[in-house]
Parts: sequence; C-alpha cells; structure tokens
Amino acid sequence: MNDMTPEVMNTKGISIKEIAVTFNQGSPSEVEALRPVNLEFEPGEFIALVGPSGCGKSTLLNVLAGFTTPTSGTAYVGNEPIIKPDIDHGMVFQDYALFPWLNIIDNVAFGLEQLGVKKSERYEIARENLKMVGLEDFAEKRINELSGGMKQRAAIARVFATNPSVILMDEPFGALDALTRRFLQHQLLEIWQKNKKTVVFVTHSVQEAIYLASRVIVMTARPGRIKLDKNIDLPYPREFTSDEFRDYEKLVYDQLDEELAKTFKLEGGGGFHE
Amino acid sequence: MNNQVNTASTVLPYIYAGIFIVLVWQSVVSFTNAHVTLLPPPLLTAQTFFKLIVSGELFVHISASLGRVISAWLLSSLVAIPLGLAMGRWKRFEQFLDPVVELFRPISPLAWIPLAILWFGIGETGKIFIIFIATFFPILLNTISGVKSVDPVLVRAGQVLGCNNDWALFTKVILPAAMPTIIVGLRISFGTGWAAIIAAELVAAQVGLGYLISDGMEILRSDLVLVGMVTIGILGVMIDAVFQFLNNKFA
Repeated sequence: MNDMTPEVMNTKGISIKEIAVTFNQGSPSEVEALRPVNLEFEPGEFIALVGPSGCGKSTLLNVLAGFTTPTSGTAYVGNEPIIKPDIDHGMVFQDYALFPWLNIIDNVAFGLEQLGVKKSERYEIARENLKMVGLEDFAEKRINELSGGMKQRAAIARVFATNPSVILMDEPFGALDALTRRFLQHQLLEIWQKNKKTVVFVTHSVQEAIYLASRVIVMTARPGRIKLDKNIDLPYPREFTSDEFRDYEKLVYDQLDEELAKTFKLEGGGGFHE
Repeated sequence: MNNQVNTASTVLPYIYAGIFIVLVWQSVVSFTNAHVTLLPPPLLTAQTFFKLIVSGELFVHISASLGRVISAWLLSSLVAIPLGLAMGRWKRFEQFLDPVVELFRPISPLAWIPLAILWFGIGETGKIFIIFIATFFPILLNTISGVKSVDPVLVRAGQVLGCNNDWALFTKVILPAAMPTIIVGLRISFGTGWAAIIAAELVAAQVGLGYLISDGMEILRSDLVLVGMVTIGILGVMIDAVFQFLNNKFA
C-alpha cells in the first residue's frame, strides 16, 4: 500500500486576504459576486464550500485556481500569491475535462510531461496513480470508452500525479449518479487521508460536504459572503445516519434556509421557511 | 466476418444505386430513341470504359486529375490551416480578415478561370490555382470554427496542468482539440476540389478527366463524356471512403 503514496509529501495552506470580485465593473451589468472575504486554510485541511447557486463559491474557487483575477485582495498558496493558473494548484472539474485525443494513461501523465519528467518515469507515476483509483487495467483505453465515474477517477489520478500542494475540486461528483457518487466520495477520502493534501471542494450537497470535509464553509447568495465556518469533529469514515452527522446537517441547513428564504423573497417567491 | 458484413453493407447500396441508374438510363434511351451522339446507351459506354481501362488511357487521365487535386489541396491546407489557426486564436486578426474572406468566398472558382489563364497561362499552375481557390475556404472556415469551439474547460485543464504559455497551450491543447473539425474541413475541401477539376481542366488541358470530357464533346463522342463523368463519380465516392476510414481510425 505504501508505494501508492507520493514519495515527497507536498501540502500547503491557503490564505485568502480581502478577496472581492465584481464582474463587469463600472458597466450597467455590474455584478458583485464576492464581498471581501478573509479565510485561512491550514495545510492538509479538507474544506467544503457550500451554498446556493450564485453564492460565489465557484468564483472563489476560480480565484484560487488563478482563472479569475480578484477585483481586490490577494490569495496565497503557502507564501506565494496566486496570480495565474499553476500546476501546483491542481483542479478537478465537474465535467472531467479529460483530453479526448489522449488515452487514459497519457491524460494522467500530461502534467508530468509539462513538468519535464522523462517518459519512463512519468508512465511509472501515472500507473501508480491509476492504481490508486483502481483504473490500472484501463490505462490504454480511450476516454469515450469510460463511464462518467471512471472518467472522474481518471481526472483525480491526473491531478494527484503531479503532486500539487493544494487540490481544488469544482462539484466533481455533481454529474454522477448517487451510487457512483458514494463510491467516489469514499475513494477520495481514502486518498486524502493517505497524503493529507489541502483540498477545497465546492458542492451544493450538504450531506456530501459533511461526509467529506474537516471544515465546512457556508456562503450566502448575491453578493457572496461567509455565513458559517464550522469544523466537523467527526471521525472518518462517517455515518450519514448517526445523530452527530444529523446535528451537523441541521446546523448547516438552518443557515442555508435563512439565506434561501431571503433569496426567494427577493425574487418575489414569498415565504419559504415559515 | 464482422468486417465482411460491414464492407457489404457499405458497398451494396452503391451497387443498387448503380443498377437503378443504368435502368433509368437505358429506358430513357429506349423510349426517346436518342441518337448515340446525344445519349449513348449504357452498354456502349461500358465498352468504351473498358477499352480505356485496357489501353491504360483512363489511368493517365485519372492520375493527372488526382495529382492536380492533391497538390492544390495540400498547398491550400498549408496556407489555410495556419491562417485559420491564427484567425481562430486572435480575435483582432479575425475581425480584420473576416470581411475579406466573406467577400471572396461567394465568388465561384469558375469565375477565376479567365484571370488564371491571363496570370499563369495554360500550364499546370493555372489549374492548381483554380483548385486551390476551390479547396481554400472549406479548410479555412473549419479550422477557424475548430479553434473557436474548443471547450474552455479543456483550456483551463491545460493551464492547471502546466501549459504556462500560449504556445504550450496551443500545441498541447487547442490544436489537438480542434483537429477533428480541421479534418472535416480537409475532407469537405477535397470534395469541392474534386468537383472543380473539370472547371480547372477546361483551362486548355492536354490530359485529365476534365480534358476527356471536353475533348469528347468536341469530337461528338458522348460515350467519352459519360465515361469521364462516371469515373469522377466513382472516384469521388472512393476518396470519401478513404477519408471515412482515416477518420474512424484516428479520431
């Protein structure tokens, strides 16, 4: 089992300092997506960002990935400010984003090739990572021969292969059926417990957030702000049906419901909660 | 076994179509009693066809025409693909060039024949030029749309996987992602080039399927005209089959 873990542990914390994002600033279609946000993620934390659509959780993730330049403030990985996408901040996308012209192992080895790792070594690392997600027998297959769940496992192998110090996940299991989702959640937890990378995981499933994360952050809608920041002090593996799990769920839902009620009122939908 | 079934199922419809065409053709000849110079019967045409095959003359025409189309098509790809890649990648460049392209695109390759003769005379260059025009736009437009329709998520994936500069991103992600659409453009343009060969060979050719047709008309040998037309049709289908095969194999 030991040969599956990367040789060098690489994990860093994330500091988010006064990050605010406004789209189309100064134009009539100006949207304030994110109010100034301050957060500190410790190395090895598993953070879940939860919130209704439009709460800015994906915007925050895109800032951390370097895709979106914040209107103000700076985010840091370790001591390095995030200014552009970097192979050290790995990302897993909802729709897998595998390269269809490459087979599975070449997808997993892609980042290593960019890093200049020589061929034999990058295939060896890619194979180890495919083994970690149980896809070692599918190395030579083409992308369209895989199911959705297998594609996402390949994408997870790809992001771990380059040994980044943080891993960003944008609703990675959102497009999967419930059973596949459960299996992948379990597998992701096993991998994370082994190498303790800092994970920032965006989801709109409260259950998923509490099942996976060591810390859950609830965000509010339009403009995005932090509503709740809660450590989940439950041992892994967690039981959906345990009382403690339910208590955490209730706590998060109460906060979310307040927000949803506000949103619905704003949209003229009337009462939601009361 | 499976392969044989596949071959049969792709070839059979063409055999049925061939039989159907011959039947209609023969009945038109029988009912109208058309003179042999106006519409020769299928049998006579088939005889001429085999005579030309046996004498090897048909292959001389085929190779001349194919050679012209292939060289013009390759030349066209060499210009249109890089230009299309640049236009798809740089918005400013596209905004500048797009109106030029749109103005030239509706002009039929046939309209270029007089200028082609004036500029290049009656040698090979003029014919290559005509087919170049005919093949250029399908390749260019498909390349542009191929680059522009690359899934932005793939570009982002490339960025977080270490493609730090535009060049790496372009060669490692955008170009391979656009490749299937570019190949469609190459296939379509070979078809338009093949259709334009007659026009190109009207520019005073001494050999080629277009020459076979126009010469047949001049000496009132409609069977030669029809042999040229049939050959173009059959080769067109075969060339497309080759592209299909390559496409299935690599895409």
